[in-house]
Amino acid sequence: MAVRAEPLLVPWYRGRVASWVTTTDHKRIGILYIATSLFFFGAGGILALLMRAQLATPNEKFLTRNSYDEVFTMHGTTMIFLVVVPILAGFGNYLVPLMIGARDVAFPRLNAFSYWMFLLGGIVLYSSWFSTGGAPKAGWTSYVPLSELTSGSGQDLWILSLHILTISSFAGAVNFLATIHNMRTRGMTWMRLPLFVWAIETYSILLVLVLPVLGAGLTLLLLDRQAGTHFFLPDKGGSALLYQHVFWFFGHPEVYIMVLPAMGIVSEVLPVFARKPIFGYAAIAFSTVGIAFFSMLVWAHHMFAVGLPWGLQSFFMISSMAVAIPTGVKIFNWLATIWRGNVSFATPMLFALGFIGVFTIGGLSGIFLAAFPFDWQVTDTYFVVAHLHYVLFGGSMFGIFAGLYYWWPKMFGRVLDERLGKASFWLMLVGFNVAFFPQHMLGLLGMPRRIYTYYHHGYWEAYNLTSTIGSGIMALGVLAFVVNVVVTSRVGRRAGNDPWLADTLEWYTTSPPPPHNFDRVPYVTSARPLRDLRRRLAEERA
Amino acid sequence: MRPRHGFVALAVATLALLGAGAAAGSNGGLTPIDPSSPNADRITGIYWFILGFTGFIFLVVEISLILFVVRYRRRGRPSDQEGPQIRGNTRLEYAWTLAPVLILAAIAAFVFYKLPGIKNVPAASAQGARIDVTVEAHRFYWEYRYSNGVVAVDALRAPVGVPVALTLVAPKDDVIHSWWIPAFGGKTDVIPGHTNHTWFQAEKTGTFRGQCAEFCGVQHAAMLASVQVLPAARFRAWLASEQKAQAKGDGRLGAETWAGACAKCHGQQAQGLVGPDLRGNSLLADRNGLETLIRNGRGEMPPVAETWKENQVTALFGYVKRTFAKASSGG
Repeated sequence: MAVRAEPLLVPWYRGRVASWVTTTDHKRIGILYIATSLFFFGAGGILALLMRAQLATPNEKFLTRNSYDEVFTMHGTTMIFLVVVPILAGFGNYLVPLMIGARDVAFPRLNAFSYWMFLLGGIVLYSSWFSTGGAPKAGWTSYVPLSELTSGSGQDLWILSLHILTISSFAGAVNFLATIHNMRTRGMTWMRLPLFVWAIETYSILLVLVLPVLGAGLTLLLLDRQAGTHFFLPDKGGSALLYQHVFWFFGHPEVYIMVLPAMGIVSEVLPVFARKPIFGYAAIAFSTVGIAFFSMLVWAHHMFAVGLPWGLQSFFMISSMAVAIPTGVKIFNWLATIWRGNVSFATPMLFALGFIGVFTIGGLSGIFLAAFPFDWQVTDTYFVVAHLHYVLFGGSMFGIFAGLYYWWPKMFGRVLDERLGKASFWLMLVGFNVAFFPQHMLGLLGMPRRIYTYYHHGYWEAYNLTSTIGSGIMALGVLAFVVNVVVTSRVGRRAGNDPWLADTLEWYTTSPPPPHNFDRVPYVTSARPLRDLRRRLAEERA
Repeated sequence: MRPRHGFVALAVATLALLGAGAAAGSNGGLTPIDPSSPNADRITGIYWFILGFTGFIFLVVEISLILFVVRYRRRGRPSDQEGPQIRGNTRLEYAWTLAPVLILAAIAAFVFYKLPGIKNVPAASAQGARIDVTVEAHRFYWEYRYSNGVVAVDALRAPVGVPVALTLVAPKDDVIHSWWIPAFGGKTDVIPGHTNHTWFQAEKTGTFRGQCAEFCGVQHAAMLASVQVLPAARFRAWLASEQKAQAKGDGRLGAETWAGACAKCHGQQAQGLVGPDLRGNSLLADRNGLETLIRNGRGEMPPVAETWKENQVTALFGYVKRTFAKASSGG
């Protein structure tokens, strides 16, 4: 018989769940990354709310000392390693091949491996709540000797989790680099590359440069704890300061790893909703690289209070201030992009504009922290907590929300509800500033970070209570986003290929795109291929 | 045009309010805590200098952001109508690269100008020659050693108007702490295996408070420090009388040591807190047993007394016997 037999059953790997587990499609992996990160964002957010509840009033007994230490350690580790870095990897995964006109990333299976390692790392970290001695409680920085003297398995699981996440991020970064360098479509030269792809390129280079250093530091920490070595133990001849150098050599570039792609998102969103080209494309692209370069030279500004020689403190002050210059270039170029535009306020645009307004404050407070004698006054206080949240929530997370609202229609074919989106934006903007602005004042008033309680009434209590109220408002904003996602998944407006009349290639294909992304990729002649197509169509029609 | 004026007026009013609030003093946390030492004064000077520039940049960015958003909003225009296709301007790029360079150079220059007065300890002042104190940080208390051998815990006493040079150390098996009295300038980490230095010269009498600023474990939040600034003559009298009292294993040292080194984990009444309840514990009446325990630590308990001289153990034991002997014999 020559008839080919049709299988009666769909193969198991095409099943609704199994197809996600076995997928090597960059888009599905991107969505997995984003969904998992958002889940951890919820977990980390709940931890933050617990801390704010404990600090709402002096001598509060809401959490015990030990739980408070566990909660702030897990909050920081979660937000950095399980939320911001991987969600940006998720956007990169979803968007980079689409934006450069490729069918997938260079190594699709390695890509799937990266995602599953990320999930595993998260599970290992959260399993520490159930381990002997509970979750790690030495802070997300896990400074030695404290992190070596704490008993229990929590700290070891923290090390293991970060090791796994390091492997995940490293493989992901190599994949991005190979993809961007080798798989750009015809005509997609470097100077026509979307700025988000520039940002992911830089993000990947930074990850490749600094993750091995973190891995080495973690390994030494683990050996000290488990194998009787004493790299970091002063009483046995080790150096406690060495760990800080190693950690921040990774840790400061990590900040830019978390900020640059968010800046890339803003650079994609602003021109579309201002109906103008990005102002100073080359300046923004090169300032991204400039920030990354300087970010490798500033690590010891986290260590101004440890008693470094004056020459070093001066060097790190100047290098840290230097980062402000390319950052300023970006902000001014963004402002110039809105200037004389036709600005409409869809939710992605609101978050992008919010990013500029709020991130500026975080950048400026960074200049205070770079001036090392002043840094001695405010380092390790709530001033730093305010600064880093202005950079990482007001910066990265606002950029990420802009990206979620902007690319949601591409990913799922439906536009998120605008009224809920706007409510979510305003709640987050107001809540964020109410929560974090007063923390600058708390720091100047002498409140150190990482204390489970305080004894002062008056201003300390007033600002702390205000901050707690702000955190509640932020939580409502996030809740509005969740409601939006749930509601829209059923009844949202269909997006079509290009709901925003955007500029970049991902809008050329259907929403959601087919597994192979494009049937045909147009030859790229500028940084705004979709606008070129629209104009050509209009000319043909005329 | 009207909304533009409205926003400018609003911004100016906000700035004026902030300025007025800040000018009213350090209250409210708009500036660092009222400095009371020359190094802290200079640090606050740096704060104002930077605030001037950053405040200006803040206003430029936020006002242009709001202006552009209001002025160039869509209004009735069709949503696909394009703005002018301006791709950039090289001169502008140079300008907003160079202007921040100049501002940052000014800030760095100002920091270097103030730096010698912040880092260098004066050898003496009109009120007297510099005094030296060693600050030894432990989990979770501060031990102070004056050059004549007097020891104090958590509460440092210092003369007004006299430079006080602090040498900061921690036992090698302890963790990192950070010394900080905000009114006396910036913090300095206390790192096992390193020796750090800082100083202050109190400008007025009174009690100045601070606390450990580097997370050091479960009772980090309870690791408070205070400096009681006395008139120079009263300080010298206290130091001399305390020296005699401590030589006899007497004075306030026992009570201070209990409150600083023991009570933060076991409770002021020994009722137990992080550490176990000690009421009725036979070790409290056993000098040798107690000494072995506190000098070596046990389990989660750090060796709090590893660096003490004999007289501090004696003073603590005396305090414990006086305070808890009745309770334990009654119970």
